[in-house]
Amino acid sequence: MVQTILPLLNSNKNNISKWISYFGLGIGVVLLLSSMQMFININNLLKENNPKKTGFDFISITKVITNDNMGKDNTFKDDELTEIKSQPAVQDAVPLISNQYRVKASAGTVIPFSTDLFLESIDDNFIDTVPPTFTWQPGQQTVPIIFSSDFLELYNVFAPSQDLPQLSGKTISSVNIILEIYGATGVQNFKGNIVALSDRINSILVPKSFMQWSNQSFGGVSKVNPSRIYIKTKDANDPKLISFLDTKNYHLNKDKTKFGRIKKVLQNIVSALGVFGILVIVLALMLFSFYLQLMIAKSKENLQLLLTLGYSPNWLSKTVAKTWIPVYVFVVIAAVAITALLHLSFVKISFVERNDLPYFLHWSVLVVGILLLLLSVFTNYRLVKKELYKIV
Amino acid sequence: MQILLQQIIPTYFEKEQISGSEIWDKNITFSKGEHLHIVAPSGSGKTSLIHFLYGLRKDYEGTISYEKENIKNFSLEKFSIFRQKNLSIVFQDLRLFNDQTVKENIELKRQLNPYHLPLKINEMAKRLGIANKLNRLAKTCSYGEQQRIAIIRSLMQPFGFLLLDEPFSNLDEVNRSKAFELIKEECKQRNASMIFADLKELEFFKGERILKL
Repeated sequence: MVQTILPLLNSNKNNISKWISYFGLGIGVVLLLSSMQMFININNLLKENNPKKTGFDFISITKVITNDNMGKDNTFKDDELTEIKSQPAVQDAVPLISNQYRVKASAGTVIPFSTDLFLESIDDNFIDTVPPTFTWQPGQQTVPIIFSSDFLELYNVFAPSQDLPQLSGKTISSVNIILEIYGATGVQNFKGNIVALSDRINSILVPKSFMQWSNQSFGGVSKVNPSRIYIKTKDANDPKLISFLDTKNYHLNKDKTKFGRIKKVLQNIVSALGVFGILVIVLALMLFSFYLQLMIAKSKENLQLLLTLGYSPNWLSKTVAKTWIPVYVFVVIAAVAITALLHLSFVKISFVERNDLPYFLHWSVLVVGILLLLLSVFTNYRLVKKELYKIV
Repeated sequence: MQILLQQIIPTYFEKEQISGSEIWDKNITFSKGEHLHIVAPSGSGKTSLIHFLYGLRKDYEGTISYEKENIKNFSLEKFSIFRQKNLSIVFQDLRLFNDQTVKENIELKRQLNPYHLPLKINEMAKRLGIANKLNRLAKTCSYGEQQRIAIIRSLMQPFGFLLLDEPFSNLDEVNRSKAFELIKEECKQRNASMIFADLKELEFFKGERILKL
């Protein structure tokens, strides 16, 4: 049936607006799909991709010290901790509790070295290396210590100039450290023993039980507000997390999040491109709808006669709208192909050494392509139907 | 199946135009199987009546109902189904697709709800003497030929009522009777009615129901 009614549609073959609208639709779809794919690519590439054993990032935050709040209480209160924990990007957040008394460390006669020190404690499950010996009970003379590997590195840098021996990760555990703790009641000595090195936490960690006991016994405080908080998150570069921390004026390690900031900027650019693509698609569809209106107006008499003869308006609208399905399928497939090529060259040219981008388009890009196709066909059908009812 | 006319008056008519009419402002029933000849001099509203019956115009008072349903309430979709199954027509102004061939014009109607096979087109064209015109564009045919095209087109579908608006005005006597015979046969096959409007009373309708408009 279709073949016999099509000649009745006065579709001027040289209508330039028709071709411009096809072209515009193609450009718009390419823009939209490419920007979607780029958005996904940027997300994939700028993820912190150190293989971590748990797949989480651990970042520490402090309050930014400014001239205004210097000397004031810059610790985190309970409600602030709760607020941090409630962020969607935050898996967990725990405080680092520090010592509330003076502590001095010396290494005895082997290494003639003595320094004032700080100690901190944190939940065990935030520490990357927790040996079974990392426990302490009241009465125990030996305090196990987890030492930051960064600190060890720093020590090894300045040790030669101070005539101190450099230490390897293994030998450091055999060094006997004497911890002198000064409290209201006098000085008490403990034996410190480095049981592990931590890559994750830059601190000198002691078991929580020891920290609690010593803070109470020597510092006379049972509740300490932390000045550092450790956050466990899926992605330290999560833009939402970063902007939350920014608005709260919390400071965090910029190194770990600089990707996040670049990512945010890039994603904004790409999103703007996508919005532009949508705009072009809308314009192209509008232009095509003018073409359709013109065509229906030109074929008014024939269409009226078909309706008079008993052709149903619904059937006619479907048949007329169907005429453009092949063109739209072609335009969208071409746009998807161009997007795939752009993506492929992006993968090949800019990130040759990286294998974390798949060569093919993300499935959601294909889904959007199909949705756009359905949308175009559907809007045409609605428009033709509306126009047909007008001429009846 | 019945068509019921209840006090139909075109809204644009003056009072004196309907006086003496056997149709305007009257209650009339057309039943399937019964032929009706409407004799209507110029200006009596013949084409208006045909268009009212076919649902093309609604500017009348009173009601026209098919199967007790007011056709003013029909949706467009319902009317198109109705025109495919129950109601066929030969317009006074014929209404052909001028830029299509004769055969395409007829086929456009036939394929909508085929009552006959495509071969029947040739057979009917031969009977009415336009077999050699089938592949010509409709606009190149004479008015008399176009009338025969419109008649054949109207016979391609099933119907209960066939509306004919001066279908023979440009046909000679021989062609008139050929066409009338064909129409009559087709109506009989379907047990359908023709509602045949003309300016003068035609002798084909001797003994049938005749109403003056």
